[in-house]
Amino acid sequence: MIQNNASKKKNAAASFMPYVWLLPSILLMVIMIIVPIYTVFQISFSEVGRTGKIKGLNGITNYLEVFEEPAFWTTLQNTFVWTIAVVGISTLLGFIIAMVLNQEFAGRKFVRAVVIFPWATALIIQSVIWKYIINADYGSLNVLLRKLGLIDSFVNWTATPQTMFAWECWVGIFVTFPFVTFCILSGLQGIDDSLYEAAAVDGSSFWHKMFRITLPLLRPNLTVSTVLNIIYVFNSFPIIWTISKGAPADQTHTLVTYLYQLSFADGKSGHAAAVSVIGFVILAFCASIYMILSLRREEE
Amino acid sequence: MISKRKPWQTVALYLFVTILCVVILYPYFIMFITGMKSNNEMYAIDHIFPQAWQWSNFVDIWSAAPIFRYFINSLIIAGGATCLAILCGIPAAYALSRMKFKGKGIFMGAVIMSQMFSPVVLLVGIYKLMVNINLNDSLLGLILLNAAFNQAFTIWLLRGTFISISPEMEQAAKIDGCNTVGALIKVLLPMAAPGIITTLIFVFINAWNEYTIALTLISTDAFKPITVGINVFYGFNFIQWQYLFATSLFATIPVVILFLAIEKHLVAGLTSGGVKG
Repeated sequence: MIQNNASKKKNAAASFMPYVWLLPSILLMVIMIIVPIYTVFQISFSEVGRTGKIKGLNGITNYLEVFEEPAFWTTLQNTFVWTIAVVGISTLLGFIIAMVLNQEFAGRKFVRAVVIFPWATALIIQSVIWKYIINADYGSLNVLLRKLGLIDSFVNWTATPQTMFAWECWVGIFVTFPFVTFCILSGLQGIDDSLYEAAAVDGSSFWHKMFRITLPLLRPNLTVSTVLNIIYVFNSFPIIWTISKGAPADQTHTLVTYLYQLSFADGKSGHAAAVSVIGFVILAFCASIYMILSLRREEE
Repeated sequence: MISKRKPWQTVALYLFVTILCVVILYPYFIMFITGMKSNNEMYAIDHIFPQAWQWSNFVDIWSAAPIFRYFINSLIIAGGATCLAILCGIPAAYALSRMKFKGKGIFMGAVIMSQMFSPVVLLVGIYKLMVNINLNDSLLGLILLNAAFNQAFTIWLLRGTFISISPEMEQAAKIDGCNTVGALIKVLLPMAAPGIITTLIFVFINAWNEYTIALTLISTDAFKPITVGINVFYGFNFIQWQYLFATSLFATIPVVILFLAIEKHLVAGLTSGGVKG
């Protein structure tokens, strides 16, 4: 009887053990991630003073006020353009570069190493350097192009919000494509050469091999790189904040720079929190698609 | 994919990779030569290269601003966050790879979900939390946040590593009288060393390069990491580009080298370790 009790206790302890192992990780994430999520929701439904003091719930007033701002709608549109353009072009470009780097050629190791540079460099440093390069008065791109004889006088690269935003997208692409390249490259190296040899015997064209062999086998790699990039690019703050800060006239914000300005420059925490929740909902939607996809693959 | 290339294909290939390298290295080249210019030459727009190479810039930055302090802060933040993330991540990844329990699927799902939320979108909440627990404007706050927001990747990469190692060796060690913790430390961790080092470096780089949280939370100059600290050369009216870029080079080179060291392990871990498991 006593023995039985003891082994029951031991069993109970054993079944409890996994949770003890998970505890530090759970504590860290609950306090640092879940609590802020809760706070953002709470603030978004509250009236907040300029000093950040919460004065009580006010329903969906913050949301309605945000919706009335034309800047919000521009920002939302920019966010979609930014995310789709940067992720889309990076994926295509990254894919092509991976195909090239998968070829055997002298200096391949060097090129691989070079492609890592933009991925490893801090975004803030990338942003500052590009801001300098495209500067209209003394930027090095103008200096270079004039030396090469391609332009006579300096070009103002960021004369309109559209060109400003296009340059920001370019910097986004510049820092995003290496991740795609390496994800694809790791997939390409796992594909058995005999598949291509068999296809070559059958006389398959390049595109036939691409759509029948390469792309289907790279699907997991493409999923990981695309989904993670959507998240990163959507949340990317330093590029736009450094190069334009949303200027001119709030025309080049994305959701994250807009909410930062609302909260930490304009002192409108309530509005900022509402924008956060909207961004949060969009991300949660993407995240649940990703989770369903990856859990389904786990079952396979 | 070894196939015989026609001559024009070889030419096209080399042309392509040459253009690629030039475009990628261009900003780094600009960073280097601008970091070498004197202040007088900064706005002289007739020359690409500096007329007088100012190697002294690389020495002057250390006295022009508390750059050394910023680097130390970055080291403390990134080092602390890495240690914390790994110390919390190892037991979690171990449980997820070696034990069966209720709620495992839910926890994995939550981990994958949490990876979706960058701190930026939660900044308003994070700021409030940090003020409430008195950790805004402190290195400890940044350590905790960086560790938490890298937890998903840590668990993901470590779990993949642990799963790829057969549990037989640990079981043998347990029969020899080791307890679970002993078997983990003496048997599994040494075997998992490459995966653990990859994870360590990756979290370190993420925390080292982090900008937004630090910008938001840190107002005291003595607590700024290098990513925020370089803003001292970036005043409203007067930008000291040469110092800015000289400092940026110091902040970039070690990270690129670390990254080169782990790239192979990292990509394999990211694309297979977590998703397939």
